[in-house]
Amino acid sequence: MRLLLCLSALLALVVTPAHAADISVEQYGYPLSNPFEATIATTPAPFRADLPEDDDIDQADYSLRLRPEREFTLPDNFWAVKRLTYRLAKQPGPAPLMFIISGTGASYSAGKTESLKRLFYGAGYHVVQLSSPTSFDFIAAASRYATPGYSPGDAKDLYRVMQAVRAQQHELPVTEFNLVGYSLGALNAAFVSKLDETRQSFNFKRVLMINPPVNLYTSISNLDKLVQTQVDAIDSTTTFYEVVLEKLTRYYRQQGTINLDEAMLFDFQQSALRLTDEQMAMLIGSVFRFSAADIAFTSDLINRRGLIVPPKYPIDEGTSLEPFFRRALLCDFDCYITEQLIPMWRAQQDGGSMAQLVQQVSLYALEDYMRNSPKIAVMHNADDIILGAGDLGFLRRTFGDRMTLYPRGGHCGNLTYRVNAHDMLEFFRG
Amino acid sequence: MAKRALLAVMLLISSVTHAQTGTVDEDGFTHPLRNLEFNPGLDQREFERATFDALNIYDPWESLNRRMYYFNYRLDQFVMLPAVRGYRYVTPKIVRTGVSNFFDNLGEIPTLFNSIAQLKGERAMTTTARLLFNTILGVGGVWDPATRMGLPRYNEDFGQTLGFYGVPHGPYLILPALGPSNLRDTAGQAVDFGVERQVDYFSYAEASGGEFGLTALRLIDIRHTTPLRYGQLNSPFEYEKVRYVYTRARELQIEE
Repeated sequence: MRLLLCLSALLALVVTPAHAADISVEQYGYPLSNPFEATIATTPAPFRADLPEDDDIDQADYSLRLRPEREFTLPDNFWAVKRLTYRLAKQPGPAPLMFIISGTGASYSAGKTESLKRLFYGAGYHVVQLSSPTSFDFIAAASRYATPGYSPGDAKDLYRVMQAVRAQQHELPVTEFNLVGYSLGALNAAFVSKLDETRQSFNFKRVLMINPPVNLYTSISNLDKLVQTQVDAIDSTTTFYEVVLEKLTRYYRQQGTINLDEAMLFDFQQSALRLTDEQMAMLIGSVFRFSAADIAFTSDLINRRGLIVPPKYPIDEGTSLEPFFRRALLCDFDCYITEQLIPMWRAQQDGGSMAQLVQQVSLYALEDYMRNSPKIAVMHNADDIILGAGDLGFLRRTFGDRMTLYPRGGHCGNLTYRVNAHDMLEFFRG
Repeated sequence: MAKRALLAVMLLISSVTHAQTGTVDEDGFTHPLRNLEFNPGLDQREFERATFDALNIYDPWESLNRRMYYFNYRLDQFVMLPAVRGYRYVTPKIVRTGVSNFFDNLGEIPTLFNSIAQLKGERAMTTTARLLFNTILGVGGVWDPATRMGLPRYNEDFGQTLGFYGVPHGPYLILPALGPSNLRDTAGQAVDFGVERQVDYFSYAEASGGEFGLTALRLIDIRHTTPLRYGQLNSPFEYEKVRYVYTRARELQIEE
């Protein structure tokens, strides 16, 4: 027992220097101490970095024809996602280019991707916004196997997209290439960077990972678990959504008038009607369950697996998809991996266990590469809900002083906080 | 103003910093999920139940609605959005704001009519004041001094009035070019349109009846001020999600 105490004291001594480099809560100044609030409400307006307005950005959407065969295999009502759309913001002259990879299920025009675009555009970069390999449009228009989640495969899909963007925008004067991703996009960015070491189309100058999952299975288990929190006040006639809407309506009546934005959410959380941590967790979990449903449905449909849509079911623009939506909603990330990703991966690799898959798709697979590549850095939050025990330790060991750990922010809640914005620009400038 | 807002936020924050009860481990990780109360069996079906419940919206014309939805999607992509891009390209921001204010001011007429119909006296008075100030001081509604005077803009339409008196929303309906609606709100829109033409304030109705240009400008302005895009939800089930949000949002508008 004494020995154990001594050992832990020793351990604490050894570990303390690492903490010294971390930012303390007071130093950091980010206002939201609750990780669920931070994840939902993000940064309150007065604390955000100054970012350029849409009117000041020269930008347009472009589309790529990457999988022509899908035009025949996908039903008619998917016409909008037969080509992959991306957004490009151009600087007037030669400039470095920033690729942004969106997070789980998010499209190129998602709020967080837009914020990052504003930040880097304001700092003088051309910016290309890409949808996540797990998003509906990407799975349909750009994914070779249409079964996202196998990180090395997703990286190849992304790399093809990035090369196609480069080819389509060949007249754009680019001085150097950079890459940034948040959430699952950060994990994708690391795999893309690794791929680029051999394919060398871009020779990225710097790569930044923001709030990546470390062990993908831990992250999806956390997210699946969020809808299992105990929320009170629900009964046979009132569902969870009704409870939340009811609170918002009562708040609205008290205030007379509200604008539905982050500031409103922030004020709402200060009122007596505030949502509990369990309710917020449930909300976050629900958003991810909708993503899981989209992935499970789209992947099943394109590969004609027959788990959700019967393989020969006729679908046109008038067909109701609601029965399939209901089936897909029953499938969480774990269900998608077990029913779709693992069988496909096993068939391609001639067998393999779940543990092997987790090893190959998580950051563990890139440990040596990340340790020895000074151009890659990571930013994470101490209270990120997608992490598990030991994940931050892995990042610390792997990245050393190329890791920045913020004491607050939840999952990606502090992207636009001015300290984070400043640190991101500094990293790419340096 | 910004400074005051900042101060208010600071005060609020200092009052809620107690919420955090993290247990930091040796990596510096705070284990945010550890303090949550989970359902012990992890077999709660509340997400599924709530979502299935939200999918129950009366939609007997679904097949037709879906076709109309995709028709509108294409119309938006290939006609409306290019028109809006052209409009934004040729007009300076101040002109666009003026145009939006002008049409908003015209929209006060149905709001006034419907506030009275729902016996919402305060709203009717605010809206009357807005109409007067904006028309006289704001030169026919091109400027919006009323908002700066602290008179909020309300929106009441005949669909809401019908709902206020207990008329059910009826089948969900997607209108050509106009998008999500239901039988009750469609009837409401027709009535509001009639009211606007009857009152014929500024002889706008007469002019737009004769001049295709004004109506086109109004449509472009509506599209310009609506931030929503088809495909924005980026989900194969966008139709169902929009249907729920539209129906629920209308219920809330009627309640308030």
